[in-house]
Amino acid sequence: MPRNKTIQRDAAMWLLRTMRTIRQTSERIAALYPTNVMETPVHLCIGQEAVAAGVCRHLTDADKLFLGHRTHGPALAKGLPLRSLMAELYGRTTGCSHGYGGSMHLLDLAHGLPGSSAIVGGSIALGVGAGLAAKMTAQNFLGVSWFGDAATNAGVFYESLNFATLQKLPVLFVCEDNGYSNVMPRAAHSAHDIQSLAAQFMPACTVDGTDVLAVYAAAQDAVDAIRTGGGPQFLHCRTKRWMKHQGHERCDLPENAVDVARDCPIHKLEAFLRDSGLASAAELVALARQIEGSIDDAIRFAESSPFPSPHLVEV
Amino acid sequence: MPWSKFDSTYSAPLTGRQISYCAALREGLDQAMGLDPRVFAIGLDADDKFGVFGSMSNLTHPERVLGTPISENAMTGVALGAALSGLRPVHVHLRVDFMLVAMDQIVNYVAKWEDMFDRQVRVPMVIRGIVGRGWGCGAQHSQTLHGWFAQIPGLKVVTPSTPYDAKGLLLASIADDSPVVFLEHRWLYKNMGDVPAEIYTLPLGKAHRLHQGDRLTVVANSLAAMHALTAIEQHGLDVDLIDPRTIKPLDIDTIVDSVRHTGRLLVVDYDFPFGGFASEVVAQVTERAFTSLRLPPQRLGFPDRGMPSSGVLERAYYQTPERLAAVMQRMIAGESVHADHQALVVPS
Repeated sequence: MPRNKTIQRDAAMWLLRTMRTIRQTSERIAALYPTNVMETPVHLCIGQEAVAAGVCRHLTDADKLFLGHRTHGPALAKGLPLRSLMAELYGRTTGCSHGYGGSMHLLDLAHGLPGSSAIVGGSIALGVGAGLAAKMTAQNFLGVSWFGDAATNAGVFYESLNFATLQKLPVLFVCEDNGYSNVMPRAAHSAHDIQSLAAQFMPACTVDGTDVLAVYAAAQDAVDAIRTGGGPQFLHCRTKRWMKHQGHERCDLPENAVDVARDCPIHKLEAFLRDSGLASAAELVALARQIEGSIDDAIRFAESSPFPSPHLVEV
Repeated sequence: MPWSKFDSTYSAPLTGRQISYCAALREGLDQAMGLDPRVFAIGLDADDKFGVFGSMSNLTHPERVLGTPISENAMTGVALGAALSGLRPVHVHLRVDFMLVAMDQIVNYVAKWEDMFDRQVRVPMVIRGIVGRGWGCGAQHSQTLHGWFAQIPGLKVVTPSTPYDAKGLLLASIADDSPVVFLEHRWLYKNMGDVPAEIYTLPLGKAHRLHQGDRLTVVANSLAAMHALTAIEQHGLDVDLIDPRTIKPLDIDTIVDSVRHTGRLLVVDYDFPFGGFASEVVAQVTERAFTSLRLPPQRLGFPDRGMPSSGVLERAYYQTPERLAAVMQRMIAGESVHADHQALVVPS
């Protein structure tokens, strides 16, 4: 992929920082989760970080991103502060949803995150609505609908692609295809091929969702086409879910076994950075350590923040 | 904010200008769109020359009227996404029954979005549904369901009965920063009434006394309110008739005050009986004014089964002003009427 070689150091380091932040935060959540300090169902995205980083690098704060239940990765990549996320997981007033949302309902209006939903599929339509608003008010922001492979089985998926195409709306559809609908593998849950189905409506491309530079390049093309008035685009990112659907445990399905050299987006990007001379090994170690410090800070912030007053919801 | 100048307590003076309920709805929407460029209308056949039974004919801003495919669920999500992006959608459904296709969006999304984020975002969105009845429309084109929608936290439910209310409540619903389910009855569309030409809003959550009386409190909304009024006027009944106008928020204070005075309560609720609006009114009145009640409170509405089609069956199924009058007269006479809801259930 020739464009891989031409990426600027700033962009590459942003991708790495973002992916590492998502990964290390997720690992920390997984470690803390059994202690019950976070009373909220968490759907971690370890292994899937390249999709969040590669796409969100091309989005602005004005672009409105609507997420499903697997929120942490794309929300952090879109700009949600780590402290706001962690405090929300801890159920504190300083959380991004003031303790009313939890892991699956994250909000950050300043960074174009108007909310996320735990009912698979429905939020696809909300991104289309944002695109409609952009068109009707002649503003140049994008609506971004973010969903997994399982959501392509819901009727709202078809309805949303159809309407976005009919109205030629500025909408980016991102399918973060981790191969599973809860525990059901793609071959069992979808009779269709996702890219060909989407291509009936709009330009659709499939990329290796474990290769952040591939996602970055494909997202660049898609976003550019939308911003120049080309209507909706569909980005199908095939990635791998290392964890179980929900919770802190690793996925134990033998057919989904992880090969780090093949599957880990961070491992692959770091190898590229070292080999191309864009970053030194010492730099990469320092970055990981710095991110650990930010996570420590976010946890301290969450732990020291107040809980909401129960009387707010009492009858 | 163009809406902030409207005082919700202001009552537009009547001017003798007579227009229909349908024309009042059309005028309210047209004036809202003229006042606020963020207001737009969306829905199946919204842009058709048929104009949604005339309620959207010849609007001044057709560029903000958008017809949609039959995709009610996604279109509700589209309206929500637009509302979260700065617009004020009015999503119209030719039948209330069609809204049920969108219940995931209406209940899980629209109704919950403000609560899930502690009201850091608002959802200024109106969902209009038109209630059908008669001519064999049957079980899937005749539902009302205002009590069902009102059960969901996060939805206001508005059911105007007069042209004056239709316009003022529609404008108030569009002005509101939270989701409103606005249910219009097709049988009211031709009714004429006094409607001021000016823009005005009516408070959501304020009942209207349609008839003053001392012997019996009747609570009725939408078409039921008009049928109750007809019954009272034709038979000269001494009834305090209260139209709540909005099912939620519910002006229970006005209802309770009336029951404290009359000691008798009948709720006429053209909706399914089990756990519905009438049940809610009876429950709240019983909780608050039990000792004022001189008769067991009663409910009148639909039988607990889907609407039939044949005219013979329809005429048996639906209440009429005459039937309402008969029940009111018995209650005024102190007779303990007990509507046998079980008898209306299909025998198993």
